[in-house]
Amino acid sequence: MAQGVNTLIGASSAPDLDAQLMLRVRDGDEESFRLLLEKHRNALVHFLYRMVQDEAVSEELSQEVFLRVFRSRGTYEPTAKFTTWLFRIATHLALNWLRDGKNERGQTRLDDDRDGESPAREVADRKPTVEQRMLYQARLREVRSAIALLPEKQRAAVLMHKYEEMEYSQIANVLDCSESAVKSLLFRAYESLRAKLAHMVAGGAR
Amino acid sequence: MNCPLRKEETAHILLDYSAGRLDAAGAGVLERHLENCPDCAAFRMEQTAVWDALDEWRPAPVSIDFNRRLWQRIDAADAAPWYARLFQSIRFAQWQPVLPLTAAILVVAAGFLLDHPADRVSLQAAPAAPSVSVTEADQVEQTLDDIQLLRQLNAEGAGKAKTIPE
Repeated sequence: MAQGVNTLIGASSAPDLDAQLMLRVRDGDEESFRLLLEKHRNALVHFLYRMVQDEAVSEELSQEVFLRVFRSRGTYEPTAKFTTWLFRIATHLALNWLRDGKNERGQTRLDDDRDGESPAREVADRKPTVEQRMLYQARLREVRSAIALLPEKQRAAVLMHKYEEMEYSQIANVLDCSESAVKSLLFRAYESLRAKLAHMVAGGAR
Repeated sequence: MNCPLRKEETAHILLDYSAGRLDAAGAGVLERHLENCPDCAAFRMEQTAVWDALDEWRPAPVSIDFNRRLWQRIDAADAAPWYARLFQSIRFAQWQPVLPLTAAILVVAAGFLLDHPADRVSLQAAPAAPSVSVTEADQVEQTLDDIQLLRQLNAEGAGKAKTIPE
């Protein structure tokens, strides 16, 4: 996504630490790229996993994101936060993948139990019982299904808002829309999620 | 949903509060409001439940060979010829809109051909068409000639009748 490298919208501010690292990458310092990779790899893979709900695809897309970042290093300019750029590429790839209809495999895997190894809250000092594990998996399936049913942009907005703790303005920059549009996306997304998940009262009682 | 705070334009304040992202001053004001507004209190309770439910979704750890595979791809991309790099760069997005466009053009063209079968028949049956139309034209021309001849005869007959003395 070379076209998005230097044309990000948003007010220019003092370069963040990531941007400084990226400037060093631009000057040929591969070690700085390794630092950026270590710092953002997990968040990016998990974001993409929650978007496409397919483990292998999320890693493939994440690699594509980092590959593009590395290959664009020569023309990098810190016109926006580094993470905005990173997640903009990631969201672009994920939306393309979803719109290509390649997500059929992912949707069929809503039943798999590969993520979230154990209900940590419920098992602070002991192994979960079979019943606890089944309950946790059922709740997890509900959450995944509710997220998967959101329209793609709403899904991306919620994931960035909830898990990446991004500001409205940063989400707007990633999704290339206005801040009020982001608030509207989030309002509708959380409305859907409340309708589907609000019965899951905190603490696990259902 | 009677409280204006729950409307789309302002609900982000409640969302921020439920997420613990509202500043202390704002949170204080909102808490006083929540004490007297059952609508917003219900919103906050439901949103907190959603927030907690989302917290439970913890993806599996990233593959341990993620970095190794990435560096392999980077090395392979660097070593690839220019046309391969170009293909790789457009593989994901840029040409994808062209495919449905091409398909749409083909569908429209096919629809046009199906909708105009007469044009196709006349094109395919081009050699046979002249014989039919020539025959018809001859017949029409001959009929017109006959009428013209008849008029001339009538006119001549009338003239003779006038010139012949009684």
